[in-house]
Amino acid sequence: MEAFNVIIFHNRFKETCSHLKLNFSSLHFIFFRRRDPMALFAVLQTTFLLALLPLRTYQSEVLSEPLPLTPESLNVSINSTKQCLHLQWTVHNPDYHQEFKMVFQIQISRFKASNVIWLENYSTTVKRNQVLHWSWESELPLECAIHFVRMRTMVDDARIPAPRLWSNWSSWEKADAQNSLGDHPLYVFPKDKLVEEGSNVTVCYISRNHQDNISCYLEDVLIYGRQLDQNVWAFEFKNVSFIRKTGTNFYCKGQGDPEGVVLLVSKVLEEPRDFSCETQDLKTLTCTWDPGNDTGLIQLPSYTLFESFSGKKTLCKHRNRCDWQVTQDSQEMYNFTLVAENYFRKRSVSILFNLIHGVHPMAPYSLFPKSVSATNATVTWKVYSIGSSSALLCQLQLLGEGKVIQQHNISVRVNGEYLLSELKPDTEYMARVRCAYADHFWKWSELISQNFTTAEAAPSEAPDVWRDVTFVSGHPTVTLFWKPLSKVHANGKILFYNVVVENLDEPSSLKVLSVPAPANSTKVTLNQSSYQIYVTAHNSVGPSPASAVAISGHPGNENVEEGRMNGTEDGFPMSWKPQSRNATGYVVEWCDSPQHLPCVLRWKNLGPTNTDTVISSGAFRPGVRYNFRIYEISTKRMAHLLEKKAGYLKELAPSYNPKVNMSNLTSHSFTLSWKDYPTESQTGFIQGYYVYLKSKTGEKCHRGFEKTFLTDNSVCCKYTIDNPDQKTFVVKDLQPESAYEFLVTPYTSAGEGPLDDFRKVTTPDEYSHILIHIILPMVFFVFVIMIICYLKSQWLKDKCYPDIPDPYKSSVLSLIKFKENPHITIMNVNDCVPDAIEVVNKPEGSKMQFVGTRKSPTETKVGCLGQDNTFTVSLYSCDGITVKGYVEWEFLSGLAGALSLWTNVCQAPTCCVAVFSHARVPFPSLCPTTLNVYLSYF
Amino acid sequence: MRAQRMQRTLLSLVLRLLLLCTVATGKCSGKYHELLLQLQRQADLMQDPSTLLDPYIRLQGLHSPVLQEHCRERPGDFPSEDALWRLSRQDFLQTLNTTLGLILRMLSALQQDLPEPTNAEMNVRGFGNNIHCMAQLLSGSSDPKAAEPTQPGPGPTPLPPTPPSSTFQRKLRNCGFLRGYHRFMRTAGQVLRGWGERQGRSRRHSPCRALKRGARRTRPFPEVRRLAPRGQPPR
Repeated sequence: MEAFNVIIFHNRFKETCSHLKLNFSSLHFIFFRRRDPMALFAVLQTTFLLALLPLRTYQSEVLSEPLPLTPESLNVSINSTKQCLHLQWTVHNPDYHQEFKMVFQIQISRFKASNVIWLENYSTTVKRNQVLHWSWESELPLECAIHFVRMRTMVDDARIPAPRLWSNWSSWEKADAQNSLGDHPLYVFPKDKLVEEGSNVTVCYISRNHQDNISCYLEDVLIYGRQLDQNVWAFEFKNVSFIRKTGTNFYCKGQGDPEGVVLLVSKVLEEPRDFSCETQDLKTLTCTWDPGNDTGLIQLPSYTLFESFSGKKTLCKHRNRCDWQVTQDSQEMYNFTLVAENYFRKRSVSILFNLIHGVHPMAPYSLFPKSVSATNATVTWKVYSIGSSSALLCQLQLLGEGKVIQQHNISVRVNGEYLLSELKPDTEYMARVRCAYADHFWKWSELISQNFTTAEAAPSEAPDVWRDVTFVSGHPTVTLFWKPLSKVHANGKILFYNVVVENLDEPSSLKVLSVPAPANSTKVTLNQSSYQIYVTAHNSVGPSPASAVAISGHPGNENVEEGRMNGTEDGFPMSWKPQSRNATGYVVEWCDSPQHLPCVLRWKNLGPTNTDTVISSGAFRPGVRYNFRIYEISTKRMAHLLEKKAGYLKELAPSYNPKVNMSNLTSHSFTLSWKDYPTESQTGFIQGYYVYLKSKTGEKCHRGFEKTFLTDNSVCCKYTIDNPDQKTFVVKDLQPESAYEFLVTPYTSAGEGPLDDFRKVTTPDEYSHILIHIILPMVFFVFVIMIICYLKSQWLKDKCYPDIPDPYKSSVLSLIKFKENPHITIMNVNDCVPDAIEVVNKPEGSKMQFVGTRKSPTETKVGCLGQDNTFTVSLYSCDGITVKGYVEWEFLSGLAGALSLWTNVCQAPTCCVAVFSHARVPFPSLCPTTLNVYLSYF
Repeated sequence: MRAQRMQRTLLSLVLRLLLLCTVATGKCSGKYHELLLQLQRQADLMQDPSTLLDPYIRLQGLHSPVLQEHCRERPGDFPSEDALWRLSRQDFLQTLNTTLGLILRMLSALQQDLPEPTNAEMNVRGFGNNIHCMAQLLSGSSDPKAAEPTQPGPGPTPLPPTPPSSTFQRKLRNCGFLRGYHRFMRTAGQVLRGWGERQGRSRRHSPCRALKRGARRTRPFPEVRRLAPRGQPPR
């Protein structure tokens, strides 16, 4: 079986090998096919026919018998660049001069003649002496394989009667491109390849060194091919994609340098879009289009413009625009075809274009304003003329603040001019112009524009003036405020304000102040007269109308009760009652930021018929108290205070609590006070206070308190004080020696203050105050007694324990000495028996008599000791004795003790008293049950 | 062969006229150190592969290790490092100038294969101007012709590489050429820095006189006259 392939090109323009170039020669050929089994017959038939040919020269064109003709001089050449086999042959037919339609069957084999890879029938009309050509493009580079070609023919003409037989095959012609290769070890084919994205490409390499290990890469990726022959490997790339403008690299590497091929991949040429033409001057047409995506190759596609009526065409210099010169033969209609073409494709689009209907004039130029006054301006411009008699329709637009405020259409041939009126002084405008072809409107030209500013005029309105009057030492000080004039009324830049102060009581007295802009206030000190003050604003042209304010030299009635109001989203709605029927108007004044000083005074003028208004300002904030004063303006421009109002745009909960003082703490109550808490500066109207009380013991809420839960879920007692002026509170019914926490917070309509600053208090003991009441006087009393005792100590000593007289110092002794009695007798101790022991320890001064014997203990009961645990033992003796004492005691508790007392010598020859005073017993001031005193006498 | 020689002569003439024209419009600095420093900086700038070679490799898709291995300087494209070090100053400048002419032609041919914009051509021209000024300074003449740097150098003027048959080979060839160009500029910079060091060591003598003396004494080596030892791989 023989392979049979057909190359088909759909919508593609490609100069491939399959396009035939026919050269006409002078030879005519008739081809007949000769069948091998009939060879002998054919030879005879041919000989016979050749013999008959001269006889049939004048016969009709319809031949009666076919003549077998074989193609001759078949020549096969290779075009490596296009990978084409080019065939050239002739058909020998010396006898016929007519044209015949013939079919040539061509066979192509690869590597060996028997390996037929292509079979194609090529039909054409053959003339006499014609050299025929046919080309075939190989998908495999021709250098990589030997190709063989042969052909045979058959006459396929209606004038030749059947049977139509194929001629003999020509001999195989060999096409071997490898012969021309050098002695390099490695070749890669094709050398370069230009392909369209999405197509298939076959690349091959020839290795001369069989032992060489060849590796091939496509863009750095190792790939493996298909072996075609001993030395030849092929690689087929399907659906190739665009990588870069400089091509996709394929290369192979053996022992030596790499060999490779660059596949230049072109993106598919797109059809031009939005193809249209227009003219600006009826002389040159400009056609534009969107070429679509770039093909990605350095070599750009070509664009050709073809006009079918005139048959002219031009090669465009740009890929999206082309100029076409309009001829003078007044051609109006044009049928343009734009052809985009690259190596692979040809794309075309067409339009039918009427020259008159496609006039797009050039933009006008030299647009200037002239004679610009405060309210008028004349603008002029020029246009490029179209033809000799055509006019342009121009549209003049006047723009103010970006908006078109005037629009005029003017017919213009060369110069345009228009007077713009009703302009505002000192205002910037933009004039802009565009034009269109008047005979047939199609498209406006580009716009040109020019800015200009009108001249200034005197301000058209008096400034809005208000005043603030304060009295210092009885003299009014007036601060005048005015609002800047709006741009509409200023009519230019305000340079200064004139303030004229007229004393109404002294008409000749005028005081003029000039305040430079942009100041908006000034201060004037007046005396106690009445004044009229005029304020005017001045720009470079002149003054504005005057604004008048009257000032009385005496303070007005400020004792107006302040009312309250609530703000809304729109502001503060307020109303008032007029006092006078002759009021010329009302003014409401307020401070925008009352919490910040100085006050930014604001005011609003209202007509005489208004008795209510809504004051709104962007400066109003929630939680800020605004104070409004409403004035009535008399016919003499004097302002009288009507009402005062205070309000919040929106009340907020208090942001902080008062500082509370606690006093009068007892075991059952304490007092809270917060006297210095200002209510005017709060974030809402203070409606009262909450007193929170928390008990550690969790006792029940007292009378007047209610149980509530705090945010931390703790239980608390709350007392509500609904009088904002009450700033003291007594917390009663508390438990002694108990811990409490309290908090005082104000509340407004929006809520209460923060509950985060509880203070602690602990009630004292119930009896402690009693003790205090007793102990303190006692201490005081003892202290007084001690002072008295100190002051009267000598008297007390004399009274309570006077000095015992010393017998030796007695006057009696001196008398004895004087008599020098040698029988002075000293009392013997043994003879001196104490007659009594007296324990002095009681206030009542009871004495315990004791008659003791020598060295015998004496037991006696004693009462309680004195305050300082002392007692006194007095020993009366008439002769000198030595007494040693010993005391022991015992208490009810079993506590007992003993103490050696003292030694004393009573050496008087007479009775004496040994006094042991203030013996201190080291135990508490309790009453001992027994107190034994032992005395020894020596 | 004769036609080739004619072509070479013509190219040389064009280059000379080109450089002369540039020089005639400019004014040379008479300060040796300033000029030397400028030449060093220009050489440093031009030796940087990121200015030409790297963009070229990226644009042409030659970044694979296999191709990088074969993107190498061909022997004979540029004078070798040894040869440049052995040249006298005058000969060195002459060689530089001659090579710059070759580079200019190659850059012109490479224009569409390089990313836009590249200042390489302007840099080469500026470098050539300064070489001319240095040659003029060394010869001690204010006449540009006296120090014309485009006089035949020590050896034949190198020809631009023959364009290879396929686009792929041309890519590799250009890549190797650019690599050689950067290598050549790096070596030139080193030689120029060597001038500065030697000058610093002999500070007692007048630099101009010393240079002139050196220029007169330095005699080109016969092997250097061939400029590049063709067939030897560059170091």
